[in-house]
Amino acid sequence: MKKLLLASVAALVATAAAAQDSLPQANSPWFTDAQAKINEIMARQPNTKRAKNVILLVADGNGVTTNYATRLFMGQQEGGMGDDYVLPYEAFPHLALAKTYNINAQTPDSAPTAGAMNTGVKQLFNTINLSENGVFEDCASVEGNQLKTFAEIVSESDKSVGIISTARITHATPAAVYAKTAARDWEDAVPEGCTTQKDIASQLVDQMKAGVIDLAMGGGRGMFVGADTTLAEQEGTKGKRADGKNLIDEATEAGAQYAWNTETFSGLDLASDKPVLALFEGSHMKYEADRTDADEPSLADMTKAAIEYLSKNENGYYLEIEAGRVDHANHDGNAYRVVTDGVAFAKAVAMADELTNDEDTLIIVTADHEHAIALNGYCGRGSPILGLCYDVNTKTAGGNYKHAAEPNMAADGKPYTVIGYLNGAGSVLKEQEDKTFSGSRDDVSNEEAMDKEYLQQALIPMTSETHAGTDVAIYAKGPWSHLFDGTVEQNYIFHVMNKAVHAEDAAASTGGAMEATPAAAGTAN
Amino acid sequence: MQRRQFLVASAATLLVPHLVGAEAEAADGPVRMRDLYNKDLTFSDYAKEREGERIAVEGFMAPPLKAESTFFVLTKRPMAVCPFCETEAQWPDDILAVYTSRTIDTVPFNVKIVTSGKLELGTYEDPELGFVSRVRLAGAVYERS
Repeated sequence: MKKLLLASVAALVATAAAAQDSLPQANSPWFTDAQAKINEIMARQPNTKRAKNVILLVADGNGVTTNYATRLFMGQQEGGMGDDYVLPYEAFPHLALAKTYNINAQTPDSAPTAGAMNTGVKQLFNTINLSENGVFEDCASVEGNQLKTFAEIVSESDKSVGIISTARITHATPAAVYAKTAARDWEDAVPEGCTTQKDIASQLVDQMKAGVIDLAMGGGRGMFVGADTTLAEQEGTKGKRADGKNLIDEATEAGAQYAWNTETFSGLDLASDKPVLALFEGSHMKYEADRTDADEPSLADMTKAAIEYLSKNENGYYLEIEAGRVDHANHDGNAYRVVTDGVAFAKAVAMADELTNDEDTLIIVTADHEHAIALNGYCGRGSPILGLCYDVNTKTAGGNYKHAAEPNMAADGKPYTVIGYLNGAGSVLKEQEDKTFSGSRDDVSNEEAMDKEYLQQALIPMTSETHAGTDVAIYAKGPWSHLFDGTVEQNYIFHVMNKAVHAEDAAASTGGAMEATPAAAGTAN
Repeated sequence: MQRRQFLVASAATLLVPHLVGAEAEAADGPVRMRDLYNKDLTFSDYAKEREGERIAVEGFMAPPLKAESTFFVLTKRPMAVCPFCETEAQWPDDILAVYTSRTIDTVPFNVKIVTSGKLELGTYEDPELGFVSRVRLAGAVYERS
């Protein structure tokens, strides 16, 4: 009976294969590409080796809609229509969706979301690395509620730890690697009388002195210098610290190397074991659209330097890399800088991937949250992602699938852009002299919409566009990356990183369901 | 007389009303703030050529420091945050300081305006406000774009 069943299955498979060959669409590239994808996925083997290195790349505010915009922009910049473009991390083998809400917030904030990734538990809105018993802006509640970070955990295994951000290095996402605070805004000071925690900049320097943080590169020089101090040689940066301390001097006196522009960045001794502190601007680093190589390094440049520096440790490293200003540009409602910083992030991911080995390095690419960004329709293919939504071309005989010549029109007789925002400074409702809000949409041309300074039209008037609660993607490769699957809570990211760095190497174990990854199995950089 | 010279001369002699058409104020159509700066924040050739002349610039009025002022900051994109409420370290590099002929009426931060005034280049610290600027429009007037 069993034989009969097997024979039947074999016959069915054969029949199915034959049926596919005879399908009229079987020779379409869409069809054959998808078949090849099945073969690629079936050939994958889970990598259950212990991860020597973990790189967590976070593009702040890069939810799936924002990421879509960057995909189309990068693809269109390279001459295509954009939709079919594959960003470097979109070729990673494993993917999950993360639910990003905070313990007390449906719409998440960047501090607790980064904290969730770095501690394994969700956290409270505007706090970093405190338990649910901590209270926002309540200094006294810090005591006894501090969580242990992934950086602290791996440094006990003698791994090195690095942080990179294009935002201030004391900003929410980088701070979550090293700080524990009742308020994310306590970057340069804590309230008077607060003794249970230090400000975030001080916590960074303390963690460098303690040997937990080995490398920190980002913006935010002003947070490290006293308010009565002007760093005349460093772009005239005025300090912000009320306590008057110069933490840059403290760090260098404790043995750190320091850089503040491209020239000093190039002069860092990456072969040295001396910790690295690099602070490139008084506040956030420049948007990629406004940056020059002569002034400050790109995110990819910093990634390359960090990996070169950290790779010297035979015990491995943990490196968190943040593209912090995808978020800021979204807050501004300025899609141009969103996607140009998005491209800089994609290049940093490619750099990290190129410089590491999939056999021993777990790379995770994600976002902390999405924004109130949305896409209009129905746009024809190749409609410029920053420009107008052109009509779908239906005269496709001859293989021309690119959009029609005319933009789609709304009921008000005006065209509209592909990208819009639900709220923000680009609101079409403007404050009038009588303080009421009213208005109508501008009749925008494609050229105007594609301009670097253009704000996409938004609905609800707000000074700053908001985050949104939408899921974000997690792309992963390397040891234990196959544990990213399905829809997961954001704090799950920590658990995969922790599993990966502590896993018994399958080669040394007694065996089990998982086999060690064959050296050649789907692990190309 | 070239039209440009005529207009500049006219603007200099007029008792300008608070809001006037930009076309009556500047020789060229309104330029963007980026036309005044190179990417490395040095002054553009356009700016250098027109130093001391009246020009018209598109931008947005950052929320002013105080009422009854003849000063505001023009930003290239809407900037809701008052520049004075942040430290200097957080001001954008490419702002334009505007000294107006008359006390300003605040325009919402996200309404595009055209500001006309005499272009001044070089670092200047306002003795009253302590505001340090690199480029200014003096004797300026503005209107909604």
